[in-house]
Amino acid sequence: MIICEDIHKHYPLGHGRKNVLNGVNFTIQKGQKVGLLGRNGAGKSTLIKLLGGVEFPSSGRIRRHMSLSWPLGFGGGFQGSLTGYDNARFIARIYGQDYDAIKDFVEDFTELGRQLKAPVKTYSSGMRARLAFALSLIIEFDCYLIDEVILVGDQDFQRKCYHELFEKRADRTLVIASHSPGTIQKYCNQALIIHDGLGRFYDDISEALAVYSAL
Amino acid sequence: MAGLTKGWRIQVRVIIALMIRELTTRFGRENIGFLWVMVEPLLFAGLVAVVWAAMRGSETHGISIISFVITGYIPLTLFRSAVSRSVKVFEVNGSLLYHRQIKLIDFIFVRFLIEMIGSLFALMFIGAALYVVGIFPLPYSFGHMLLGWFLYSLFTFSMCLVIAPLSEVSDILEKFIPVVTYLMIPLSGTFFLVQWLTPSMREFILWSPPVTAMELLRFGLYGHSMRPYYDISLVVIFSLIMTVIGLALCRKVRRTLVVG
Repeated sequence: MIICEDIHKHYPLGHGRKNVLNGVNFTIQKGQKVGLLGRNGAGKSTLIKLLGGVEFPSSGRIRRHMSLSWPLGFGGGFQGSLTGYDNARFIARIYGQDYDAIKDFVEDFTELGRQLKAPVKTYSSGMRARLAFALSLIIEFDCYLIDEVILVGDQDFQRKCYHELFEKRADRTLVIASHSPGTIQKYCNQALIIHDGLGRFYDDISEALAVYSAL
Repeated sequence: MAGLTKGWRIQVRVIIALMIRELTTRFGRENIGFLWVMVEPLLFAGLVAVVWAAMRGSETHGISIISFVITGYIPLTLFRSAVSRSVKVFEVNGSLLYHRQIKLIDFIFVRFLIEMIGSLFALMFIGAALYVVGIFPLPYSFGHMLLGWFLYSLFTFSMCLVIAPLSEVSDILEKFIPVVTYLMIPLSGTFFLVQWLTPSMREFILWSPPVTAMELLRFGLYGHSMRPYYDISLVVIFSLIMTVIGLALCRKVRRTLVVG
């Protein structure tokens, strides 16, 4: 279970501040697949970062009663100057995994071949997505925090992700940030719409999508 | 208690991973690799020692110049490089904060530790090499040397803990760092023994924590050919206060840190 209580987040902006979230409350149960919907700049990525503990709320509390992945997107979590292998080694070390045991999976899942020996900063965004996904799947989190951009790979990659996340790990919790109704329809069974700094939780996806398209 | 040991294990894991990462990004895997970490203090101390010896002859106050300058300069380079490496350390490492188990203090500690180990190796290496050719004395007491080194390190680390979060909040501070580290030179005990000073100066200069550390380090090397002046409790208390302030600042900065 993840419980968010009255989450506020503001960033400094010039001499004033920009309020992104103004008191968001919700609870995510184990196994739920939650779509985070919102327009550009509504605060989806901010909320994902707060959930993942990358940034801290300005006020309010987040209680995590399960293990959460780091936010999976194009950026973050990697060292651009290190190679794909070095990043895998680093992740294995900090999460207490045996590198030799995960190496094969990384090679297999990413299909990056020799490219894994090159610095991550030379990767295309699609290649980064593959690596990020592979590494997060190794750790076996209870809940995966996903930025939609990462799911927009080629057909083959999408199939793999679907297989690993929704078939092999059907019991896990997912939070997917997106502004595309299609993605939410396909992957989620609940939705949280963020608008004007407030969040509203919907148990019915089609209702949520109707509200969202009316925004 | 179980939670505490688990947390400890995770932090040890994180620190090892960060060390390896820092060493590979800074020095690469080519040629001598991480041994580069001791090259800078070695060159610095070695060259300055040669210049001093050329200017002032081989002895001062009955102590060999070369060893005196080397024992002074290597701790000083430790302080200077550790402090300058802790400036903006969070910004540089920002993307790693995606992993919750990595704390801000880990970044500071790892950078400090690399500098510390590098300069310690440099000191041992140059000391041993010069001992073999007969221009470095055999230490009178390794215990005192180690105690001095430890206190110097404690002081340095506690300063880094304060400077790192402050540099994140204020850009002005960054501009002052070179001046501050320069001012450290007369206050650090690098170029004098306290016994050479007047009694009132002695009392004054002992308020500077690194002076105690330098005195102990040098007493460990020269033994009773000098008389050490030191105040260990002052160094420990000063460093503890700085550490508490630094940890509080880190905590505060972390709460508002924007991670790209």
